[in-house]
This record gives sequence, structure tokens and C-alpha cells, in this order.
Amino acid sequence: MSEHRRVWTKYTGGVSGWFVTILTATFCVFASLVSVVSHTPAPYELKYPANFGSRFTIPANNPTTHEGVYLGRMLFYEKKLSANNKFSCESCHEQKLAFTDGRPVSLGVDGSFTPRSSMSLSNLLWVRNFFWDGRSQGLEAQAAFPLTDPHEMGQSLAVSAEKLRKTAPYPALFGSAFGETGVTEQNILKALAQFERTLISADAPYDRYLAGQYQPTAAELRGMQLFENGPDPKRRIRGANCGHCHGSPKTFKELFHNNGLDSAFTDLGREKITSQSLDKGRFRVPTLRNILLTAPYMHDGRFKTIEAVLDHYSDHIRQSETLSSFLQDISNEENGKTLSLKTQEKQDIIAFFGMLTDSTFITNPAFSNPHSTPTAR
Amino acid sequence: MQGIKTFRNKILLCAILACALVTQVHAQSTATLTVSGEVTTPLELKAQDLAAMKQISHKVKDRDGKEHEFKGVALIEILEKAGVTTGAKLRGENLAKYALITAADGYEVLYALAEIDPEFTDQVILLATEKDGQPLPSGEGPFRIITPKDKKPARWIREVRSIKIAFAKN
Ligand code: HEC
Ligand code: HEC
Repeated sequence: MSEHRRVWTKYTGGVSGWFVTILTATFCVFASLVSVVSHTPAPYELKYPANFGSRFTIPANNPTTHEGVYLGRMLFYEKKLSANNKFSCESCHEQKLAFTDGRPVSLGVDGSFTPRSSMSLSNLLWVRNFFWDGRSQGLEAQAAFPLTDPHEMGQSLAVSAEKLRKTAPYPALFGSAFGETGVTEQNILKALAQFERTLISADAPYDRYLAGQYQPTAAELRGMQLFENGPDPKRRIRGANCGHCHGSPKTFKELFHNNGLDSAFTDLGREKITSQSLDKGRFRVPTLRNILLTAPYMHDGRFKTIEAVLDHYSDHIRQSETLSSFLQDISNEENGKTLSLKTQEKQDIIAFFGMLTDSTFITNPAFSNPHSTPTAR
Repeated sequence: MQGIKTFRNKILLCAILACALVTQVHAQSTATLTVSGEVTTPLELKAQDLAAMKQISHKVKDRDGKEHEFKGVALIEILEKAGVTTGAKLRGENLAKYALITAADGYEVLYALAEIDPEFTDQVILLATEKDGQPLPSGEGPFRIITPKDKKPARWIREVRSIKIAFAKN
């Protein structure tokens, strides 16, 4: 740039106008050629149903692009990002399990276990506070945790960037996604975040039901009613009140509650982040999308089956200082102390959960491992 | 022997209960309410700060269908203390400002500033700290909004943690 300016000032003085014109024209042609060679990445359109709403923010310095998303997908499945070259994000987030790992807690690169259970990765676009305790704001910042945590992938971002710089096709992929900055620590995080924003689950039978395109079975309908209704024995309305915390078309509300798992806490949850004792034992209400695929359940994976979860809410809520008021004094029996769901009612709610399984999401080739096709290896 | 044991158990139980009560009261008295955003003076208020302000009360029917007396501070007083554009200053672009109120569990509700300002409305929205002469119980307090003219109490937000004043942007 400075080179051109010098040329410019040197000739504008005595030389006639046409020469300047030619010079300018040449410069323009040259500039346009350069921009064709390092073409700007193509914007990626995020598609979702209108009833999901658009309450999300994508950082201005990391717009979602086709090149960025593809690179992010490569990185999500890239084992070189771990200290022993054996772990990728997939190790704990498998597509066929709606990006969980089927284990109560996960095994990391150092052979020890993560303190909490892996989380399903879907509709992260709408999440504002990540992890079970909401400690991370934004997907770019979040990705640094698993990459560098000694119990997860255990490798510094600097080392990861260094390894990728020496591995084809990464320098080229980073170039097309981020231009001249190339393989950097920040660009690794940005690409992963871009890919994760595309993990939208919106084609479960429940979505089609809300769009008027699916007729639920009798059991599914009963389950849906129970899920949504608060119990009111005086008016003979039976309910489980789950929707109060887990409702909405996304089956996700960003709330933090103590759902009565314990009366004394080994994991303080949200209190560790806010330092307010009223937050002891509160955790983020997780999404129930694909819930039948993501056992075991809760932040520590304590419940092996969905039946055990329903037994918990129905009959075993533990009292404590911070137990959510939405789980106290609610019962299907007059003056009852527990929710007291019948066996059939529990089964109906589970039938409704079947409507939340999105097989399009778990088989979408755009989310699968791009390294595993024989030609790509 | 059995008698001594149950007696000891009773004392133990009493001690545990007393501890629980103390920690609960303690937790409530350390809880803070922040007022931030488009303010001249950001605030961090504790229960005792609110007690020092002018108290008013409302007798209203709550979710349980029963009438209760809620006591606390008018929300407008708190906004004025923080230097929000109220009264004569609530005009022009300031009419596009709102208060976003967030609870401990992340639940959020919104009021336009004009819904809170006495020059626009007769309704006095209350930030309650007491119900029927007692501090608000946990799960509801220590701070709760009472909006008498809202028929549906969904904006009577419990466990208030923060009030953020902002401009509507689109
Ligand atoms: C060793 C297992 C493991 C690996 C590897 C791993 N994760 Fe996770 N992931 C977890 C666990 C456990 C949690 C929950 C942690 C917590 O809440 O403290 C989690 C949570 C998350 C969340 C939060 C979801 C939410 O709704 O808040 C995101 C996003 C995520 N992981 C992305 C990734 C990415 C991207 C990678 C690869 C760079 C990755 N994870 C690698 C185990 C793992
Ligand atoms: C007061 C809010 C609240 C209500 C009401 C509620 N839940 Fe939950 N739910 C939570 C929270 C918080 C968690 C995470 C708790 C943890 O792991 O510590 C959770 C976790 C779950 C999980 C495990 C999710 C996972 O990924 O591991 C399932 C399943 C679930 N709830 C089902 C239900 C059902 C069924 C009902 C109704 C009977 C219900 N919930 C009512 C707050 C609630």
C-alpha cells in the first residue's frame, strides 16, 4: 500500500492526467485480481423455524461462513488437537447420541474423569451461558476449556496451532476461512464456534406437530398434557409441571434451578460462579431435545434410565435450602407432599419424549466426521 | 438409655434447625440487587439499604388467591437513586428505554420506563422486601416486584437479582 502511495505522489506533480488514469486503472485491475485469488468466504445462512425466535448474538468479528463452518467441522473431529493425538471433541460428543457420549462422566486425555457429564450439543446458537453452571459466555470462549483442560484434551492452543500449521490441508483451509491471519489460536476457536452454531435440531416429530404436520399418538398427547400442566388435585387436573422449566418450542429455557437431587452438595453448581449462597446446588436446565438418546442423566450422570428420572421427580425430590420453589408443595394428591405420578403417566411422558428425537439431526451428513470417508484420509 | 438418646437427638435436631435458620437469614441479608445500564450511578443494594429508603405497601391477591400485604420501596425511587431518565427527562428518545429485570434463576421480565414513571401512570410498582410483616421467604425473596394492575402475575418477578436499564435497539 505504502509502495503505491509513493508512486502516486512521485508522478502526480508534473506528469499529465492520462498517465495517472492508466496507473489507476492498472491498480484497479490488479486489486480485483488479488481479491479473486483470496476470495471472501461465503456467508452461511442459519435456518430455523420462526417459533425458535431470533434471540441470539453472533460476534461481529466471527460471521458464520461456509469455509469457516467446514473448517470447524474438520477441527471438531481432529485428534491432533489433543495432547496424545487420540482425542477429539467427538470422543465425548458423538453425533449418533445427539453429541453426548453415553457415559456418566467422561474419560479425558490424562486417563482421569471429567467432574461432570458431557452435554448434548444442539441449538447452542440460543445458549448464552454455557456448561452445567453457565460459567462461559459465548462459544468462542467455551471451546478453549475442553481443548486445554488437562482432564479433557490437555493441549495448549499455541501447541495446537503449531501442529495444524504443519498438517495439510489446514493452512489452506484457515486461509480460505480467515484470509491472511491463517492458523492462529483465535481462529481455531472461531471455526469451532461457527460449526457449533450450525448444529440446529428442528425436525423432531414435536417440531412437525407444532407446524401442524404430525398427529401424535394418544399416549404422546397424554404425555404432552402432563408435561405442560401443573397439577391441581382440587380441580382434578393431573400434571407434572415439567414445562415450567423445560418448556417452549426449543424445549430449552435458560434457567438455573436446584431440582432436588441432593440435600447436601458435593458440587455447588451455580454458587461457584456467582458466590451467592442462594445459588447452591443450582444447575442450568438442560435441553430435553433427543433426551431418549442422551442417557445417563443429570450433571453427574447419576440416573442410568429415563424411568429413573421420572421416579425422581415423582417421588424422591430432596429438600434443601435452595430447592426450587416450583418443585415444592406440588402434588397430584390433595395435601400430598410428592408429585405422585402413576406408572402409566410416567410412561406417557416418556412417549412424549420420543417426539423430541430428531433423526434428521443425528444423521445429517453436514455434521458427521469429514475425516472418516476413505478418500479423505 | 433410650430416653437420653432421643433427648440428645432432639438437641441435635434443634441445633441443625437453628443453623439452617441462621444461614438462611444470613444468605438473604448478603444478597444484592444491582442496578446498571443507562444510569448515572450504578447501584448495589442490600436489604438494609432498601430498609433505609421510604417504605410503602400494597394489599393484593397473589397466585395463591389470598390477599397479602407487601411492603418495600417504590421501583421509581430506586431508578431515581440510580439517575435514570425519569420524570421531566422521560421524553424523546428516552421513551425507547426499558428496565430488564432478572431473577436468580435467569427468568427475565421487561417494563418500559413509562410504565414505571408516576407522570405516566397511577400504578406504583413495588420492589417488595416483606410479606405480611415477614421478610419474603426463600424462593420468593429477598426482593420481589409487585405490579398491582397486572392481572396475570407473570411479571411479579421473584428473587430479583438485577435491573438493567437499556435502549430498545433494532
Ligand atoms: C473428555 C470429554 C470431552 C471432550 C474431549 C470435549 N468435551 Fe465438551 N463437554 C464435556 C463435558 C464433561 C461438558 C460439561 C462440563 C461442565 O459443565 O462442567 C462439556 C460441555 C460442552 C459444551 C457446553 C454445552 C452447553 O450446552 O453449555 C460445549 C459447547 C462443548 N462441550 C463443546 C466441546 C468442543 C467444541 C470440544 C472439542 C474442542 C469438546 N467439547 C470436547 C466433555 C468433553
Ligand atoms: C424447577 C425447574 C425444573 C422442573 C419443574 C423440572 N426440571 Fe428437569 N431439570 C431441571 C434442572 C435444573 C436439571 C439439571 C439438574 C442437574 O443436572 O443438576 C434438569 C434435568 C432434567 C433431565 C436430565 C437432562 C440431561 O440432559 O441429563 C431430565 C430428563 C429432566 N430434567 C426431565 C424433567 C421432567 C420429566 C420434569 C417433570 C416431571 C422436569 N424435568 C421438571 C429443572 C427442572
